[in-house]
Amino acid sequence: MDGLEEAKALISELLATDKVAGFLALRTVNGHPIPYLYTKAEELDGLYLGEVRYPLTKILTGLARKYPDNTFGILARACDERCLIELYKNKQLDPEKVTFVGMACSGELAETCECLHPYPSRIDIGEKVERQGDPDGIKEIEALSEEERYRHWMGQFSKCIKCYGCRNICPVCFCTTCTLEDHSLVHLGGMPPQMPIFHLVRAMHMADRCIDCGLCEEACPADIPLRTLYRKVRETVKNLFGYMPGESAEDLPPLETLGDGTFEIEGSTR
Amino acid sequence: MEYRTVQTTCTYCGCGCGLLLGVMDEEVVGTLPLKTHPINEGTLCIKGWSVHEFVQNEKRLQRPLVREKGDFQEVDWEDALGLVASRLRKIRDEFGPDSIAGLSSAKCTNEENYLFQKWMRAVVGTNNVDHCARLCHSSTVAGLAAAFGSGAMTNSTPEIEDADCILITGSNTSESHPLVANRVFRAREKGAKLVVVDPRRMQMARVADIHVRNRPGSDVAWINGIMHIIIKEGWEDKEFVAQRTEGFEALKKEVEAYPPERVAEISGISPENLRRIAETYAKAEKASILFAMGITQHTTGVDNVKSLANLAMLTGNLGRPSTGVNPLRGQNNVQGACDVGALPNVYPGYQSVTDEVVAKKFEEAWGVKLDRKVGLTIPEMFSAIEEERIKAMVILGENPLLSDPDVNHVEKAIRKLDFLVVQDMFMTETARLAQVVLPGVSFAEKDGTFTATDRRVQRVRKAIDPLGEARPDWEILCDLARKMGGEGFAFSAPKEIFDELAKVTPIYQGICFERIETEGLQWPCRSPEDPGTPYLHKDQITKGRGTFHAISYREPAELPDEQFPFVLTTGRMGFHFHTGTMTRISPSLHKEAESAYMEIHPEDAQKLGIHECEEVRVSSRRGTIDIKASLTEGIDRGVVFIPFHFVESAANRLTNNAFDPIAKIPEYKVCAVRIEKLATNSKEENDKKRAKD
Repeated sequence: MDGLEEAKALISELLATDKVAGFLALRTVNGHPIPYLYTKAEELDGLYLGEVRYPLTKILTGLARKYPDNTFGILARACDERCLIELYKNKQLDPEKVTFVGMACSGELAETCECLHPYPSRIDIGEKVERQGDPDGIKEIEALSEEERYRHWMGQFSKCIKCYGCRNICPVCFCTTCTLEDHSLVHLGGMPPQMPIFHLVRAMHMADRCIDCGLCEEACPADIPLRTLYRKVRETVKNLFGYMPGESAEDLPPLETLGDGTFEIEGSTR
Repeated sequence: MEYRTVQTTCTYCGCGCGLLLGVMDEEVVGTLPLKTHPINEGTLCIKGWSVHEFVQNEKRLQRPLVREKGDFQEVDWEDALGLVASRLRKIRDEFGPDSIAGLSSAKCTNEENYLFQKWMRAVVGTNNVDHCARLCHSSTVAGLAAAFGSGAMTNSTPEIEDADCILITGSNTSESHPLVANRVFRAREKGAKLVVVDPRRMQMARVADIHVRNRPGSDVAWINGIMHIIIKEGWEDKEFVAQRTEGFEALKKEVEAYPPERVAEISGISPENLRRIAETYAKAEKASILFAMGITQHTTGVDNVKSLANLAMLTGNLGRPSTGVNPLRGQNNVQGACDVGALPNVYPGYQSVTDEVVAKKFEEAWGVKLDRKVGLTIPEMFSAIEEERIKAMVILGENPLLSDPDVNHVEKAIRKLDFLVVQDMFMTETARLAQVVLPGVSFAEKDGTFTATDRRVQRVRKAIDPLGEARPDWEILCDLARKMGGEGFAFSAPKEIFDELAKVTPIYQGICFERIETEGLQWPCRSPEDPGTPYLHKDQITKGRGTFHAISYREPAELPDEQFPFVLTTGRMGFHFHTGTMTRISPSLHKEAESAYMEIHPEDAQKLGIHECEEVRVSSRRGTIDIKASLTEGIDRGVVFIPFHFVESAANRLTNNAFDPIAKIPEYKVCAVRIEKLATNSKEENDKKRAKD
């Protein structure tokens, strides 16, 4: 695989010089690529750089909670880097304690993920591939009548088996108590869960945080097009506030900047 | 500082999902779906996502317990096992080997189930070994074996998404087998027609193209009715019937007596709907039947299963991908526990204990003399205790005091035993009555294999060391067998046990740990080169020609009357599993459903003056419980539904222990009950309660 030897060398170096307490990436074990915390260079024989993705930054958040003084390394694609930016902003990770090795995605993976920016800010491994073309999901839905749109989404939500996989796999979902489990908002139990509130509550909560990695949709056992929903919410936030989660560590989310009451939405009346 | 993810197989239902347990410093901190697994492909249900939550719960038993003067005392393993071995030996010597009975466990691994039945047969000397398959799919095993020669799911889970028609009956698929439901959803997106026949309008029914409510227990009638229409219209697969089946004329004659009008009267399904179902199913190129307890848990369970087999053969929906008759097995390893012989009539691989050639083979393999007569099934064991023919019982990871029908009766029987040993992770309702309790471990603390519902033998891997002094169940069983003088139990790892079981189990013969490290293999797999069998009956039906069975409709054992005017049907809900020992202590699952409820149609509730959330009294001829009412049009008028997970409102205090004459499966799905308002419930109090909920 391209870049495998470079990656091994980079990670070995980090481990050998004790710059990191461990390095998170994937490793092929029993024929399956799985998340792995490398602590010794000799384990790198099984390093996996293929197209399977796991929420490594979420695992990193768990490690950092228990070991706040340790520095960890992580193999980061562009989506992982966007996660890291959000996690730094939300004080879930300390940028001083994270060392990332940047990996550009293959053209094939970028296509599968409909990713517009399939390479991180610093590329240590792999070749930069540009990919054009907006995802079609939103346009397709917006071409429908309101009634058809309603039917579409309610049809999709009616398959939901309330696994919470969309939340559980989400690398930027880190709250210790979750609004989805607040029974004053969403009824407890139920398969499907109460519709459409369950999905809309989650969409709202992702508005200034979703970095469009697509792991939620991959984890959905009902094949609900969750990314389309969250992309629409992202689009709305971008149009209203010019804010895109995961783009820069300096941009603050709207919920933090609207506080002094001076913000006005164009065309709105008070 | 240590973190690792360990690839293993889920321990809840029979879907057989691959998952990763996240272990940080010897604590199981999380679960991730395995992205590259053929069944779940990176997804899980809520139970799967929460499966790590019970593993290190403080309620886990960590030391052996022995009852002394009424109370449990902690003892060391040597004393506990010594006591079990000596008591069992004494009882066997005094009353004979058949005075001892054992329940194996569909939660445990294939290796452990193999050891359990080997211990009972070769060391104790009895075929009195059974397990909870008796209560869920024994009618499937018997019915499909009679029709096709093999009692298992004919096709594979991934194939379902390419069917053109899926007929689901008696299965709450999205709650009980979520990762099978996933394939049904996909099939629908690809254009398949979904037909659901079920008294309950649950999630699958709501997304179906056709949903009809049948009266509980009317299955033979409506299936005969469908076949009546198919034959009348000439929609049957004449070539398949002629070339691959036998007994068609008798079937044809039988179903002539089931014209739509008569069937409508028995089943409650209108003639128009019967016709729509017949046409949709019969005209599909690839039609797949999915079923579960709604078909099997009846006094006519075997008849129901044979009827579904008739329907599939009649339309040639067998022996091809995305077709078949597909029982969805409820436990992670209930398929495997059956496969490796935890049943009273067969050795591993469904080889009859009454067959002289088979018995000789096992006598040679195990080096002992073996009994030729069939042992007792679960309901027969409890009757035998009452008749003082059974004196001692060994129960591995089962909780009959909550899971079996008419638990008041079961409790009376168990209290009558001279000696009861329970091996479990928790102090269950059943363990509380034991003389000795041996702490086993969870799926996260041992190696081995589980066999998923689609005959897929998959690896289970140890993620953490056993808690406290608890020990892997296979180790406990080896020690017990050795202490009772058994030879052939000197295993040092599950792999060695698997190698032995594969040797004596023809359908597993080609499987070994090395071959299933990455992906499981589906039996039959008879040689090291055999790639396994995704779907059965390909070129020939296993038994040669498939057998049609002409079956007449019989009523359930107990029907509603003036005194008990409602039909009670029981089952699972999606957030809990069986007797709740694992799910009710998992915070994510407990949060979704903290207490029991009874589903009742709003019109019935209104007639009785019952409000939402009101506590009501439900009684049958066998027992009484108090339970919260939940008003829903999801249930038919005249029928109520109660999930069986909750000890404080145990549905099985009400259920009937009448059972199928062949499979001995109890009729959990139909009994007659009475519902009464509790005097103390005022409307105001209910409103208050509701507001609080």
